[in-house]
Amino acid sequence: MPTDTHKITFTINGRKMERTISPSLLLIDLIREELSLKGTKPGCLEGECGACTVLINGDAISSCLYLAVNVNGKEITTIEGLSTDDRNAPFDPVQEAMIQHGGVQCGYCTPGMVMSIKAFQEHCEANRFVPGREEIKKAIEGNLCRCTGYTKIIDAVESLFEGE
Amino acid sequence: MQKELKVIGKPMPKLDAGIKVSGKAVYGQDVVLPDMLYGAILRTEYPVAELVSIDTSKAEQLAGVVSIITADDVDVNNISYRRDHPALKKGRVNCIRDEIAAVAAETPAIAREALKLIEVKYNVQEGVFDPFEALKDDAPQINEFSSHEKNKNISHPFHYEHGDLQQQKDKSAHIVTSRYFLPRMTHACLAPCAITADYSNIDNRLTLYSVTQVPFLYQRDMAHVLKMEPSRIRVIQTVIGGGFGSKLDMYPYEPICALLAMKSGRPVQITFDREEEFIASPTRQKMVIDLTSGVDEKGKFTFRVAKIIMDNGAYTSWGATTPFVMMQTFSSMYQMPACVFDADAVYTNNVYAGSFRGYGNPQATFAVERNIDLLAEKLGMDKAEIRLLNANFRGEFTGQELEFNTCGHKDALEMVIDGVGKTRKENDKDQKRYKKGIGFASMLHVGGGAKIYPSDGCGTILKMDDYGYLTIITGSSEIGQGSETVLGMMAAEELGIGIEKIRVINTDTDIKPWDVGVHASRTSFVAGNSLLGAIKELKTKLSPKAAEMLKTDEDDLEYDGGTVKSIKTGESIKIDKVARQIHFKGPNDLLTVSHYYEPGSKFADKNFKGNISGAYAFAAQAIEVEVDTYTGNVRVLNIHMAQDVGKVLNPLGLGGQIEGGVVMGMGYALTEELKVDNGYILNPSFHEYKLPTACDIPEIHFYPIETIDEAGPYGAKGVGEAPLIPTAAAIANAVSNAIGVEIDSLPITPEKVLQALSNKS
Amino acid sequence: MNFNVASPETNEELFEVIAANQGRNFRFGAGCTDLLIELKKQPEKDLTVINLGYLNDPQFNSIENNDGSVRIGALVTANRITSDLTIQERLPVLYEAANQLASGQIRQVATIGGNLCTASPAGDMACALVALKAECEILSANGKVRVVPIEDFFTGVRKTDLKENEILRSVQIPVNNSGEKVHSGFIKVGVRRSMECSVVSLAYHIQITADDIITLAGIAIGSVAPTIKFASSACEYLTGKRFSEIGSSESEEFATKILEYASPISDIRASAWYREEVLFNISKSIFE
Ligand SMILES: Cc1cc2nc3c(=O)[nH]c(=O)nc-3n(C[C@H](O)[C@H](O)[C@H](O)COP(=O)(O)OP(=O)(O)OC[C@H]3O[C@@H](n4cnc5c(N)ncnc54)[C@H](O)[C@@H]3O)c2cc1C
Ligand code: FES
Ligand code: FES
Repeated sequence: MPTDTHKITFTINGRKMERTISPSLLLIDLIREELSLKGTKPGCLEGECGACTVLINGDAISSCLYLAVNVNGKEITTIEGLSTDDRNAPFDPVQEAMIQHGGVQCGYCTPGMVMSIKAFQEHCEANRFVPGREEIKKAIEGNLCRCTGYTKIIDAVESLFEGE
Repeated sequence: MQKELKVIGKPMPKLDAGIKVSGKAVYGQDVVLPDMLYGAILRTEYPVAELVSIDTSKAEQLAGVVSIITADDVDVNNISYRRDHPALKKGRVNCIRDEIAAVAAETPAIAREALKLIEVKYNVQEGVFDPFEALKDDAPQINEFSSHEKNKNISHPFHYEHGDLQQQKDKSAHIVTSRYFLPRMTHACLAPCAITADYSNIDNRLTLYSVTQVPFLYQRDMAHVLKMEPSRIRVIQTVIGGGFGSKLDMYPYEPICALLAMKSGRPVQITFDREEEFIASPTRQKMVIDLTSGVDEKGKFTFRVAKIIMDNGAYTSWGATTPFVMMQTFSSMYQMPACVFDADAVYTNNVYAGSFRGYGNPQATFAVERNIDLLAEKLGMDKAEIRLLNANFRGEFTGQELEFNTCGHKDALEMVIDGVGKTRKENDKDQKRYKKGIGFASMLHVGGGAKIYPSDGCGTILKMDDYGYLTIITGSSEIGQGSETVLGMMAAEELGIGIEKIRVINTDTDIKPWDVGVHASRTSFVAGNSLLGAIKELKTKLSPKAAEMLKTDEDDLEYDGGTVKSIKTGESIKIDKVARQIHFKGPNDLLTVSHYYEPGSKFADKNFKGNISGAYAFAAQAIEVEVDTYTGNVRVLNIHMAQDVGKVLNPLGLGGQIEGGVVMGMGYALTEELKVDNGYILNPSFHEYKLPTACDIPEIHFYPIETIDEAGPYGAKGVGEAPLIPTAAAIANAVSNAIGVEIDSLPITPEKVLQALSNKS
Repeated sequence: MNFNVASPETNEELFEVIAANQGRNFRFGAGCTDLLIELKKQPEKDLTVINLGYLNDPQFNSIENNDGSVRIGALVTANRITSDLTIQERLPVLYEAANQLASGQIRQVATIGGNLCTASPAGDMACALVALKAECEILSANGKVRVVPIEDFFTGVRKTDLKENEILRSVQIPVNNSGEKVHSGFIKVGVRRSMECSVVSLAYHIQITADDIITLAGIAIGSVAPTIKFASSACEYLTGKRFSEIGSSESEEFATKILEYASPISDIRASAWYREEVLFNISKSIFE
């Protein structure tokens, strides 16, 4: 059976796009191969590690278990979409906190980790909720990190809510 | 030179953190070269079989396939330091990882499809999967290249001894003997292996975009396999998504990728998926340790006799040399009058083991520390006290001739004993269902490199430009451990320039000077000393000119705030101005220097005696656990970790190394095991091979101890491996303490705990 | 992995694609977290995935609070279940099961319908729904609806009662609004504290009157038999008892009754012996 192609429109990191894709294309392959955004990492391709995490309409999902056809009409944010154009403040607060608190070692888990934290931060802010360490751990439960032992990452997340 | 330090000792974010948090770091799987092909490797279906035939004709017909290789198509030497490992297997396969053929194709999907079309006929045979079976006389010879020194199936035997064993036995009030079983653990780096090879027949040069942590040894090994001159191979290290020792050896996929590129005339990339990563990358040594140790009636240790059988797997990697490290733990951790140590790496048809953070030491420490608890119980002595009584001390010259010029062992023990006393009080109440326990363990590890190769040195080239920016070209490698940042900090400290003006170049063997590679927690120590030497030489150019410009003496100068200052007059001049004067006015020179540092450590002698490291690291842990007697789950509540680090260089990086190591040790203790049955791997996925998640981690309390070791940069010692080493031992001791059962194997799964509880009652 | 995708938006379109694919190879895809893993391991030839991601029928997509019941559309995700206040308050067992499923990224897309239709003995939300005696509302491509009790929905390992032209539309959960207390929760045992597939699971939902009498008990167990089991004799044992008077001998008797429903296997994650031990222990633990 010849597979059809599908036309999808979506926004990625603020840019509107239209693409014709094969229907079984995975979102991670759309992002990495077709759009050449290599910041989203393949770690397991089976939903277990979180390295491929991106945001769809602001929510964190695993792009390795998500059909690209399902982004039609939606907004994708990848790690490349978080940094700003401002030379003096190039980072999103989540990225800045990860740098300052030593939450990055080999860095392979980092893009996915940052995206999970970003979604969590926005969720907390929308609900005026200041999370404790246990809630922070839960928020990154789906992101494996082999290097840091998580502690500095948790510190980084905690710092985002200080003074609130 | 006791001046106040301005950069060293203060928290400094990693230099590469910015590109990493932005997703801009280029890892092996992110490399894209023009016209690149994708390679894939056909591995055996059976662990042990004769290869009757390999038919690639159908695969060759598949559109998009560019080249296919088998052992018959290539002229290569074996890999591994024992030279016992063919990159592509011919005639027979010996373990489930074995490579039979490889394909390069236009897309990864076509390459994988082509593998399915290769027809292999096997004559399946029985294998030997138990090293004790392999040692029997009637066992078949497993590796045809084995050198037969002691037994046809022993890849590498080790024997070490010191002291008068009989005398010490006679002195002993108690003697315990135990057998310990240590499992296969695997690195599970978040980034699976990846390599890109690019060969140019115009100048006969091979460029490899590799994740090796030992680029110069790798270059040489690759050249040996491919029968090329090493200098024609350029190794460019991509950003490495986790190393932990896994990138110390070269594996077959790497020369295979090079061979595909050479045959195709186009660049080729091979990346592993997660399953292949679990199947085809190495593990920690699985081993059985028989340990007998003694203690006199006062609680002083008398002797240790250790006999170790390691499952080497079908081929030999650097991991077979872990007894070098293990024997130090048996011979010298805690004062030890007599020690006999034997270890054999035995060939089996299992997957081969490799080197892994800690290098045998977690296994050795587990055995030693479990035995200590048993001795303490026999004596009726407190488990903290017996350790304090036997702790290593400064100035100790051990039976193995290690020289402890500085030693924070006792301090470390005291700190964690104190620390755990405090947290223990906070959650004291034992319940019916949940039982709490405390366990202690120490660790001794090389902290100033380790001389296991003819050189343990590192070269540095420095270049300061006309604008006062410094480029450090170092032989050492960054694998996420943060050494690059520490080097930047040292240069910032010494030259008084901002860290943002410092670049570290460390990824290209065509450019950087020689270094033995990342291992033995050596990088900050050896590369740091090398850098400090280079800076001294740079100053022999800078200082005379600055003194001349400031009209003062060279020893009146201070480098600070981007300037060179006269302490006497307070006058200063910008460092870039000095650089320009040197360049343009006189002596018309450039600020480039190079320096090579070789640690003062010795090669161990034939009997393995000698001071093989420039310094030694000590640590102690006290761990508090809670055991759920309903499910057998062990929850680690608090980990107190004190470590003699010599000097804290970057507290932020140090903390990260400690926490990461401790959590990895927790995985080893509780959840991680690569399960192998009759040569097949049963759990090659993150679903079944369980790394700790954020929800599993305890509170980690870290107490650095500064003993300022003269040999190290600013007094620092190596840190990278230490935190993992004692963790499993301390957790096992804590679980045993909580529920009163013997723990003699890892991981301590819920099922083992429940089984032990039920056996007890 | 190569397949076609059809993404119906309305029920009419849905019926059309279902009808057009009768006798051919097709699968529904909701969150696709189970489906994609399965297809990666075993690619199917000539497959069409009927993608439910754009279906706009609220009966599939919403949580409705009716008098005496809560109705959850098959496409409602685990995350939406955990943020629903009624479920949090009245059906803690379902809340906890959904909250302990996989990770945030998976919960964001994993649907309750997918969890049921996968019919895994380790399905967390499915286990809670069995304890809650939910009913499955099944829609057929000719527009007809039938309702089956959840116990009858599972017919074997990874098998359900769904016919080729049927789709699960929603589940209905009876909720007692008389103001009775609930003692309700989900216990999931694995090696890690997160990202775990259960080695043993236990869902319990017990309603207690103001004067301490147990009026209703629902107990379900997962990963200890080919399908999730409802432990009816254990439930009957509890009904009518005073909750506060259940002591250790009663809870052990209760646990023994639950064990009768277990027929675990040994696999690489745990032995049958371990599963039975733990099931017994956690069963009695709900009264501690
Ligand atoms: C990393 C990972 C961890 C996981 N952890 C857990 C866990 O802890 N606990 C747990 O219970 N599960 C777990 N799962 C399994 C899975 O996520 C859940 O079962 C989830 O609820 C499935 O929902 P889905 O929408 O993704 O289903 P899909 O994958 O879309 O569908 C699953 C199956 O149901 C069919 N189907 C879906 N919807 C319908 C419908 N409305 N009518 C008829 N058929 C339908 C599909 O054809 C398919 O066969 C895990 C999965 C992954 C990848
Ligand atoms: S790559 Fe998607 S979760 Fe691991
Ligand atoms: S920093 Fe290496 S995996 Fe997280």
